[in-house]
Amino acid sequence: MKYKDYYAALGVPRTAGADDIKKAYRKLARKYHPDVSKEAGAEEKFKEVAEAYETLKDPEKRAAYDQLGRHDPGEQFRPPPGWEQSFGDSSFSFEDVDLGDLLAGMTGRGRRGPRAQNMPMPGQDFEAAVRISFDQAYKGTEIELDMAVPEPDENGFLRRVPKKIRVRVPKGVTDGQKLRVPGKGGKGANGGRDGDLYLGIEVQAHPLYRAEGLDLYMELPLAPWEAVLGASVDVPTPAGRVTLKVPAGTHAGQKLRLSGRGLSRPDGTSGHLYAVAQIVVPTVVDERQRALFTQLQDASTFNPRAHMVD
Amino acid sequence: MVKIEASTALVLDDTGTLSVTELVEQSGLTEEELQALVDCGALEPRDAAGRSWKFSARCVVTARTARRLRDDFALDDTHALAVVLRFMQRIEALERELRRRG
Repeated sequence: MKYKDYYAALGVPRTAGADDIKKAYRKLARKYHPDVSKEAGAEEKFKEVAEAYETLKDPEKRAAYDQLGRHDPGEQFRPPPGWEQSFGDSSFSFEDVDLGDLLAGMTGRGRRGPRAQNMPMPGQDFEAAVRISFDQAYKGTEIELDMAVPEPDENGFLRRVPKKIRVRVPKGVTDGQKLRVPGKGGKGANGGRDGDLYLGIEVQAHPLYRAEGLDLYMELPLAPWEAVLGASVDVPTPAGRVTLKVPAGTHAGQKLRLSGRGLSRPDGTSGHLYAVAQIVVPTVVDERQRALFTQLQDASTFNPRAHMVD
Repeated sequence: MVKIEASTALVLDDTGTLSVTELVEQSGLTEEELQALVDCGALEPRDAAGRSWKFSARCVVTARTARRLRDDFALDDTHALAVVLRFMQRIEALERELRRRG
């Protein structure tokens, strides 16, 4: 097992009291927490101090850790004889075990006596971030996650093992949503419930559609004459192309609704698809078109800046 | 190779409902902490006047974020926690908006 110097991680002496440990941890958490700091390496640093605090804030875990003595960080070491018996089974190999995982698994174990040993312990919750395409979100999808999860071995010690989990993601999920997969976290002990798996969904941006809740928005470029005269235009929707009737006198920014063509959920609720009109103009016109536009200009009394007149 | 059975994920939005006990179990907060978060408006039960509260599944996300912030920053004041939580939610919404705009 590799030694980790938890006191050094928090920058406190080995004699520090609980208050000083908490104070030191809070200061470092404010500095390195990934929600606060976007600095490179901040997340790693935070994990390190959080692991140190997790052990040192708990008097039992701290006592067990102190019994390990002092070593250089990263140094391979063996706990003193009998150390493992103090909170679990004997005949245990510490070769490839992580000190943090080991101490994390200590809660409710042998040190509190036989009663605590049989106490139901709920399994740990797992969390994972999942990135899916717009299409997968629209139709629903099945994803496979490769995770390294702490699981108790035959001696009840936590070790990280690779685990594949398949999850059915229902249709209609949106960016930033959280999903819960019941029972797919860590195994509970002594009749405690299994933990859950929580997924944070990130939906990749689509080149055409932008989701707001279940509603979808897309830009609909129209030629000036289509906007003025009205038109039937062929537009894409996630479910396939449809013909959209653009009413005469459509202005830029106007939202044309394609009812029920947004995202839909398994329970039947669905959003709409809004085509937002944009008036675009040809940048190159030939002689004839130029003549026609000039004719239109002469014939029209339309003042688009009427509202700007004092 | 053995095909792994797929489990269905539940979306934590407004469609699902859960009891206080379930919210305690799924968030890792105590009932007192949940009560305090309701008192300062960080969590809203479906039927605040009802005898036993029901929460929307969305509250699991809020309550779990609160639990994480409480642990990560070793916060012991629920009011401060509610304020931090509110800021966190605003930051997340703004980050989503930024991503959406590309």
